[in-house]
Amino acid sequence: MAPAELSVKLQASSGSKIRDFLNANLINILAAFLFLLLAFFLLYPIIAVLIKSLRGPSGFTLEYYRSFFSKNYYFQSLFNTLLLGVINTVVCLVIGFCLAYMTTRGPWILRKPLKIIALIPLIAPPYLFALSLIILFGRNGIVTRMFDLHWQLYGFNGVVISQTLAFIPLAYMMIENTLMSLNPNLEESAYDMGASEATILRTITIPLLAPGLLKAALLIFVMTIAEFGNAAILGGRTPFLAPDTYTMITGESDFNMGSVLSVILIAPCIIIFFIHNYLLEGKKFTTIGGKPVASEPRKITPLIQAPFIIITTVAAGAIFICFAVVFVASFYKILGVTHNVVLSNYLDFTSNQAIYNSIRVSFVAAVIGAFIGVLLAYVIVRGKFFGRTFIEMVSLSGFALPGTVVGIGYLLAFSAPPLKLTGGIMILALNCVFRFLAVGVEAGISKLHQINIEIEEASADLGASFLTTFYRIVLPIMFPAFIAGFIYTFMTAIVSLSAVVFLVSPGFALASVKIFDAAVYGEVGIASATTMKLVLIVTICMLILNFIRNKTRLGGSMKKSAAV
Amino acid sequence: MKRKPIAFVVAAIFSLVLAGSTPAEDINAYMGTSPDNNAKIAKFIKDKTGITVNQTFQSFGEIEARAKAEAPNFNADMIIGCGSPLAFMAKKSGWSHPYVSPAWKGVAEVFMDPQGDWYNIANFSFVLVGSKDRLAKAGYSMPTSWKDLLDPKWKGEILMPSPLSSGTANMMRFSFLALYGDDEGWKFLEALDKNIAYYTRSGNAPTDLVGRGEFMLGITSDENVKKRIDDGYPLIWSIPNEGTGYDGTYALIFKGTKKLAACKKIIDVLGTPEFSTLMAEIGYVTPRPAPNALYGKTLPKYIKLDLAKAADDKPKNNDIWKQKLRTDFK
Amino acid sequence: MDMRENERPMLILKDIHKFYGKNEVIKGVSLEVRKGELVTFVGPSGCGKTTLLRLIGGFTDVSSGDIILDGQRINDLPPNLRDTRICFQNYALFPHMTVAENVGYGLKINKWPKHRIEARVKELLEMVELQAFADRMIDRLSGGQQQRVAFARALSLEPKVLLLDEPLSNLDANLRLVMREEIRNLQERLQITTVFVTHDQFEAMAISDRLVVMKDGLIEQVGSPIEIYERPANEFIAGFVGYVNFMEGRVASIDENTRNTVINTEYGKIEITLSQGDINSADEVLMVIRPESVNISLDCGGKGQNVLSGALKSYMYAGSLAKCTVKIGDRTMIIDQYNPRDAQQFKHAEKVEVHIPRSVHLLKRKR
Ligand SMILES: Nc1ncnc2c1ncn2[C@@H]1O[C@H](COP(=O)(O)OP(=O)(O)O)[C@@H](O)[C@H]1O
Ligand SMILES: [Mg+2]
Repeated sequence: MAPAELSVKLQASSGSKIRDFLNANLINILAAFLFLLLAFFLLYPIIAVLIKSLRGPSGFTLEYYRSFFSKNYYFQSLFNTLLLGVINTVVCLVIGFCLAYMTTRGPWILRKPLKIIALIPLIAPPYLFALSLIILFGRNGIVTRMFDLHWQLYGFNGVVISQTLAFIPLAYMMIENTLMSLNPNLEESAYDMGASEATILRTITIPLLAPGLLKAALLIFVMTIAEFGNAAILGGRTPFLAPDTYTMITGESDFNMGSVLSVILIAPCIIIFFIHNYLLEGKKFTTIGGKPVASEPRKITPLIQAPFIIITTVAAGAIFICFAVVFVASFYKILGVTHNVVLSNYLDFTSNQAIYNSIRVSFVAAVIGAFIGVLLAYVIVRGKFFGRTFIEMVSLSGFALPGTVVGIGYLLAFSAPPLKLTGGIMILALNCVFRFLAVGVEAGISKLHQINIEIEEASADLGASFLTTFYRIVLPIMFPAFIAGFIYTFMTAIVSLSAVVFLVSPGFALASVKIFDAAVYGEVGIASATTMKLVLIVTICMLILNFIRNKTRLGGSMKKSAAV
Repeated sequence: MKRKPIAFVVAAIFSLVLAGSTPAEDINAYMGTSPDNNAKIAKFIKDKTGITVNQTFQSFGEIEARAKAEAPNFNADMIIGCGSPLAFMAKKSGWSHPYVSPAWKGVAEVFMDPQGDWYNIANFSFVLVGSKDRLAKAGYSMPTSWKDLLDPKWKGEILMPSPLSSGTANMMRFSFLALYGDDEGWKFLEALDKNIAYYTRSGNAPTDLVGRGEFMLGITSDENVKKRIDDGYPLIWSIPNEGTGYDGTYALIFKGTKKLAACKKIIDVLGTPEFSTLMAEIGYVTPRPAPNALYGKTLPKYIKLDLAKAADDKPKNNDIWKQKLRTDFK
Repeated sequence: MDMRENERPMLILKDIHKFYGKNEVIKGVSLEVRKGELVTFVGPSGCGKTTLLRLIGGFTDVSSGDIILDGQRINDLPPNLRDTRICFQNYALFPHMTVAENVGYGLKINKWPKHRIEARVKELLEMVELQAFADRMIDRLSGGQQQRVAFARALSLEPKVLLLDEPLSNLDANLRLVMREEIRNLQERLQITTVFVTHDQFEAMAISDRLVVMKDGLIEQVGSPIEIYERPANEFIAGFVGYVNFMEGRVASIDENTRNTVINTEYGKIEITLSQGDINSADEVLMVIRPESVNISLDCGGKGQNVLSGALKSYMYAGSLAKCTVKIGDRTMIIDQYNPRDAQQFKHAEKVEVHIPRSVHLLKRKR
């Protein structure tokens, strides 16, 4: 209601000159405002980290960096982190691709179950897998004992396995999205022309998917190296940067060194972000980004099908088992130690409060994030001012920034007046808004590219003010993008730990932090039950949102065809 | 028509944001005992004073980092449960609001600062835990001296928390340094390191992992041991001959709080014998003597400590720790 | 025509059924397509044209029935082993390849030697007049050019049957006319058996040897464009292939020798020369009166044979023809007056005479 009212008031209270000026410049004013927001909530915290890493008690110093680069330990940590990131990214991409391929091209009966299994862990905190793995494969785990195995879960391997399982869903979701929007006729044409399944994959599917794969790779890499839950629980003596940073800040209260580690953690992410942008330059194929279509199953030759089936079965099986363990564990005080089934884990009041808080934070973040995302997209596409690309890059860079670093940045930047924000819900929500902004912005941009500027001009022709046009024409058309940004922010925010763990305040527990604490404290039952509750509630939220989205998708396309 | 949803959404955001604002009689506190025990303490305070304590669980280390980052504008009104390094630093830096509580009269000097800058609501220690099943299977018995832990047969089977992330582990370190003297102490820690599987992040973690049988032995906080045994973990615990160290669980009021009266009220109830009984039942050693859940009536043998010095030495010892015990930290 | 009739069919569909889940989309379709023939599936959107084409191409399996290509049953062959080639409605050109790479894709897949690929691609591009664009990326081509690339790509391996799914629907009106002529010319020159799908009845009539009119997963009528237009099998087809004025009547008499037939209508007797055998005396019939078959003149009072008088409701002059709306009794008739020389007079006329031709087609009315 507000914008329309505002425009009415403007028209009523001021002369037409001012109105014209505003109409002509509103988009620039809006852009400036948005840029200030980005600068304040995204750039400034990162710069605060950078400054902290360079400023000692007596002014500027490179001492902390020297200390980093002179210690083998940190190199080891950096090396492990990068290796973990690379292995994880590659494995997640391969598995995610196989899963996505099966659920979009495979036999009908497999599609739904595989999809559900692949997506459910998305709403569970990533470090959940560390818990399951200890229960099953720890040195005294159920499976270990059963087969009298002697393996070492604590260390690099354990972290890789748990981290991979944790990020398969994300990889799957992103790849499935691009596969869905890949016109199936392209592959069918190749098929028709005599290409075998493998040839189609090699010459058509994968090259066309490359931009999507690249993006998924970037995201997974960044999230992997920033997520410290699994490494903290299963890392053993193997150092990784993210948990080291966490310890450095929370344990040793060494903000300078913590900032150095953060900057080092950020460096590869930024480099990859730029490589990604560079590679995608001029590679935006027109066929991608169309409306999602379900492809009919193909008669895949067994030879090709075999590896796909093996990989998907193993991956889906592993995810399923880990999840089943969590489910079972939620009914025991401590699974594997005590033997009577209890419901007390579910009745834990403090975890209910935490879940409620998480949903509140995520909801607020999602609404604000989606809204800002749509506005940013609008400004980026329709604006004609200098620095548009810069704004675009900054708003998309959020997801390339490790959560740990942004969390520390917020702690450094906003814990003292005049910018004191710590404590309460807003800092948590804002943190999520700006970290997860990219998806909403991108969806908005692609939506805006689909609609004709003439519709807006026609509306302006009819005498509508900028605000009215924006409100009546642009927003409804961009509603799907709004929903996309909303859903992504909501889902990611609700399980994210790496940043918010630095920002939670007394009286405002979040579910992800609560689960992590319970896990670290050995309260397996409570950790599991809280997770199950979270999964259930978020699933319900998602179903509702999906329902809304399906409705708006229909509505959106109707409006579009009516307008043309 | 179209406007309604947005108005609704705006309203929804506001209501959600505002839902965070809190009722009249409440304070924000950093609380560093386990989530469970935090809840018990908060409930006790609520029952006795009607004041709601808003808190999230944070480790001693986290609270320390948080307080340092926020000083002198704290997000909380007080701390109920932090380690000695922060308590002493707060007094030194003038972050704490002195208040001499009449309710605390007569407690031993380790439990209360003469100026009333901090109060030690409960002492905790560290103990040795062992996995009943794993020890039996290997045919080993519980070590009776800390030095027994250096036996190569324990290689890869001992857990202990890292002093870099855990206040409990810091206590272990300064206790061993006090017990053996600095030189011998470091040698002991270095030798012990050869047998340590890895250093856990939290001070309680060894209890759980040894309880699960993942490792045979753990040097761990005594806080959770009783509860875990009650939960059904096949655990045995002991305190080797040399005794154990201790550290306090400190409460203090932050300077600048707007709810000074409520904070004082809380400090007062924390000094009552009833509160001591509650903490003793959990397993703490308390300012007002009460039967202890873990140790019973006879308190364990303590290593002689200077907590103030320990707090001062912490940064230095962290550096030495990294130099000596991270083999690749060169 | 006769020579072709003797040739064996290139493609045979035998009682094809297709279910998507419980939904029967193709409900029993049988058809023979002769070698070198261009057959068009035409029907309203959703009637199953694309599905039928996909069944022939092998992208989806028939639920029952047989598909026989050049004497061989191909039901179980995957698309890459079928000698059919499809052009999708959206062209499905590979956006990451140049024009030449697109056209040469099938050749490369089939392991043609490099120099032969080059030669063949050149030949094909010349055929569709795109030599100059060989190295362009696809998204730098206009719609018509993309259509040609798709066509050239589909022809590259000389398939036995070419399947075209609404190939012209994404082009603007003028280009559509040009392209359909080009496609038809090439098809005739190469003598390539083609199944063409469109929902545009005029396009279908213009381009095809034979039309297959479909509705709801069933074939309504198969025949040459003239047959379909002049002798539609039912009301749906009559209305589908062009505007039609229907008039109910009852056959009063049929002269066995001259086939002179008298039909009683509510506006009087109409006499026609019957050219179909399925009509008998006393049948209730529907006369299929095409707008352009009717003559219209200014009312002169005297009534002749097959002349109905009516009121001119509107007269829209459009150069080569004028569209007249005439009210006869309580029904409206649309009449196309070609070569409207005396438009001036009609503009202000009120009463007109309408001359029903003797060649009217009759449909039996179901009771
Ligand atoms: N893959 C599919 N799954 C389920 N139903 C389908 C599928 N493809 C087509 N249909 C249905 O089959 C019917 C015929 O579709 P189609 O062959 O595309 O029609 P046309 O090409 O004549 O417009 C439609 O009702 C459509 O909804
Ligand atoms: Mg179709």
